[in-house]
Amino acid sequence: MSNTVDINVHHVTRVEGHGNIVLRARDGKIEKVEWQVPEAPRFFEAMVRGRPWSDIQTIVSRICGICSITHSFAGTKAVEDALGIEVSKQADKLRHMTHYAEYMQSHILHVGYLAVPDLLGAKSVVPLVATHGDAVKTVIRLHRAANEWSDWLAGRTTHPVTIKPGGFSRNFSDSEVREWKARLEKEVVPDLKAIAGVVLSLADKLPAFERPTEYMALTHPDYYTYYHGKITSTDTDEEVDIHEFERVVNEYVSPQSTAKWTKWHRDSYAVGALARFNNNADQLLPLAAETAGKLGLKKGCGNPYMNNVAQVVECVQAVEHALQLMDELLTAGLKEETLPDVKVRAGEGVGCVEAPRGILFHRYVFDKKGRCERANICIPTNQNHANIQKDFEALVPGIIDRPQDEIRLMMEMLVRAYDPCISCSTHYLDVEFV
Amino acid sequence: MNDIVVIGLGSPLMSDEGVGIRVVRALAARSEAFPGVDFEDMGTGGGRVLHAIANRGKAVIVDCAFMGESPGSIRRFLREEVLSRKEGGGLSLHGGDLIATLELSAALGESPGVTVIYGIQPESVSQGEELSETLMGKLGEYVDAVASELTEVRGG
Repeated sequence: MSNTVDINVHHVTRVEGHGNIVLRARDGKIEKVEWQVPEAPRFFEAMVRGRPWSDIQTIVSRICGICSITHSFAGTKAVEDALGIEVSKQADKLRHMTHYAEYMQSHILHVGYLAVPDLLGAKSVVPLVATHGDAVKTVIRLHRAANEWSDWLAGRTTHPVTIKPGGFSRNFSDSEVREWKARLEKEVVPDLKAIAGVVLSLADKLPAFERPTEYMALTHPDYYTYYHGKITSTDTDEEVDIHEFERVVNEYVSPQSTAKWTKWHRDSYAVGALARFNNNADQLLPLAAETAGKLGLKKGCGNPYMNNVAQVVECVQAVEHALQLMDELLTAGLKEETLPDVKVRAGEGVGCVEAPRGILFHRYVFDKKGRCERANICIPTNQNHANIQKDFEALVPGIIDRPQDEIRLMMEMLVRAYDPCISCSTHYLDVEFV
Repeated sequence: MNDIVVIGLGSPLMSDEGVGIRVVRALAARSEAFPGVDFEDMGTGGGRVLHAIANRGKAVIVDCAFMGESPGSIRRFLREEVLSRKEGGGLSLHGGDLIATLELSAALGESPGVTVIYGIQPESVSQGEELSETLMGKLGEYVDAVASELTEVRGG
């Protein structure tokens, strides 16, 4: 009797294409296993052409509703690089704190809404309200706190308005920083510890799948970075200047995908929380390092499902470093600052920051009037596509004898672990009346 | 925080996809006419709607919607009146589903007293900062429809 496995998970959207999981096998022989994806929207590159340097942040913040702060920083840093705009140490610290708010928003949502339901056998977070109410409410409370943290620094929850070339469009006071420091210490840290406990209790349900993988991330000599630094990977000791990012992403065309794939030292590489951890874990602050230890996350981990665990560790790291920066700001005392006068000139600049789901690059060329002539935006999701495919090719032969539903779930969970950015620049409803 | 919130969703860089944002911006520009109402441009960050509507007396959400209507049509409806056809939310947090967010809000027991959705059928969802001519010609009608929601006593 032949045993056929036929899996087609179609993520069809009306606007931007699809992300499909395809597996066809007969009698244990795999005929086709593919992660099929479209090109992520590159039209933002066309949209910024001809626009003045001062418009860049507003436009690129709309590339993604979840990573809008990260895109704002990548775009703004590229503008600052091109036009020689300096940022004060105080504003730099405040930017880190703003970035950390987005990290917590994104990571907590990913762990709480996508990963934990998988581990509890639920289709979504909604039914867990009845069965695991405390855990869900803790996730929601953390997400809400992160939103308010964003509101405070970025000016609003979605698509920031205070981030400007040279700093911020508003000033912040000692009392605001003190208030947030107390809230992080009293509310957020205990809630994060509780979520780490929930993930710990479920960690044995994460598939034990390992594949030797190259992990790429920013690295910095002074701290576990999401914001400054050079590009490195677990396959090299080389640290590459961000201005040479095209040299490490090496975009290439795969016949099965309309999206370009990327590679550095191997056929693919991974970016994201686990990639940062594998490159920079030695620099974690004490509570984050302790959390990683409790959750069994060790440097050199090659299990993509552990990306979810790395996200929890990174939330702790983000809050811990934010608290450290708040102490430094309060010790120095917040000063009133104004945005610098910008001397417009022709130039080219690169901005590179770590988005929650991986390293992000923006490059712009401006003419002498400060109008954008050319843009290149390389997002983390595109950099992970080839690695998801290679994971599939290594994972499926080991599980092909299992029931089809179980195989499909493990493949879906693998994609979810990367949280690919699909349809991120749109929101529309798609409904039928009943 | 006011008792009523009006939320615009979508991307103003994707033509008609951003119609909800445009309607809310137009209303916010004359916010003095609507005391006790907050106006929020929430872009494409769907999951955050959960917090913006929590425990309000009334939430009014304006969004581009594929509803099987002719382009430019506007419909007022409640969550219970529709089924979402949106796929893919299971693989990614991106492209979030508003209907699922409203279900979560209800499960948490923090739904607004009344939640009303205004869906506007797009003509074009593609790169561009302008609405299609069809929707642009009706923008005033959309703004008036949502404004009436704020000035008249209407339930779910």
